Amino acid sequence: MNIHVVAMVVSVVIFLFVIDLVRRRRLTFKYAVGWLLVSGAAIFFAVFYRLLFAFAAFLGFELPSNFIFFALFCVFVFLSLLLTVFLCQQNDRNDVMAQKIALLELELKELKKKLK
Amino acid sequence: MNIPDKKILVIVPAFNECGNIGRTVEEIRHEAPHVDILVIDDGSIDATAKEASLAGGMVVSLPFNLGIGAAVQTGFQYARSYQYDIAVQVDGDGQHDSSFLEKIVEPIRRDGADMVVGSRFLEKKGGYRSSFSRRVGINFFVHLINVLTGVKINDPTSGFRAYNKKMIILFSEYYPHDFPEPEAIVVAQQAAARIIEVPVVMRKRESGSSSIRYFKTLYYMAKVTLAILLHMIRQKRRNT
Repeated sequence: MNIHVVAMVVSVVIFLFVIDLVRRRRLTFKYAVGWLLVSGAAIFFAVFYRLLFAFAAFLGFELPSNFIFFALFCVFVFLSLLLTVFLCQQNDRNDVMAQKIALLELELKELKKKLK
Repeated sequence: MNIPDKKILVIVPAFNECGNIGRTVEEIRHEAPHVDILVIDDGSIDATAKEASLAGGMVVSLPFNLGIGAAVQTGFQYARSYQYDIAVQVDGDGQHDSSFLEKIVEPIRRDGADMVVGSRFLEKKGGYRSSFSRRVGINFFVHLINVLTGVKINDPTSGFRAYNKKMIILFSEYYPHDFPEPEAIVVAQQAAARIIEVPVVMRKRESGSSSIRYFKTLYYMAKVTLAILLHMIRQKRRNT
């Protein structure tokens, strides 16, 4: 029985941690939503673990733990893909900004030269 | 030399080329006194910017190394905002002989092309024609681009190119970043650009090392191929 308590405590801690990160403005809403959903689902299944077992059996997993590992694996693959997308977006923006700054710097230099 | 009827910008991307850049800029000024020269210092840690400036070029210094594609794109952005009619790309490593500059600009001047590629392989003349392994790689791209777009460019990795206003606008908005030369041909072709080749003679680089080293040729080929194939499945950007 203890394992369910541990699972519940861990998922509640993660959930609260995410909320605290948002509160301290370390995490913006955009990125917090996913984590809240995942940790919310974790709490739900930690409480109603029989539902989880039934679902695992329905899908044909021999052991509920296999199902949990599989589900976690899927979540993380999806998450890292999502993070890569954000990374690319940031990278692109960074490049655009660097180009703009460099061009502005040149324009400023040329303007100063003209003023002298 | 021709009458300076069109505004021409020579874009020279350079990354740690302080041994070559001064000579390159001086040579362009000597061969084509009517053009403006914009050196894109791609986050060099040596005296590239200073050398280029001393030689009489304008210098854009990117705050950190963005890679050749983004550097060249910065040049297109400058050409676009200052309304240049023609942009010419000349590598900062001294490989490109600027006495051919007017020759690659000429088809654009008479509106015979949107984009001109200076090609080492059109005429069986001398000059530097790359190592054997690289020529195998170049040949591979010739066929790949031919199969994908139906255009035959004999020297798709050549970075000695001229562009008209249409291309300046297109590439200021989107220019492939990582290994841009072969992919840029595909991008241009998809925008229905008229691409032609003009024979040029290239030299071996005078100092420093190329960004594509011999043992990396295969890796380069695989990467560029993948980049081009990924480009083909990309959604079309809205053209303005």
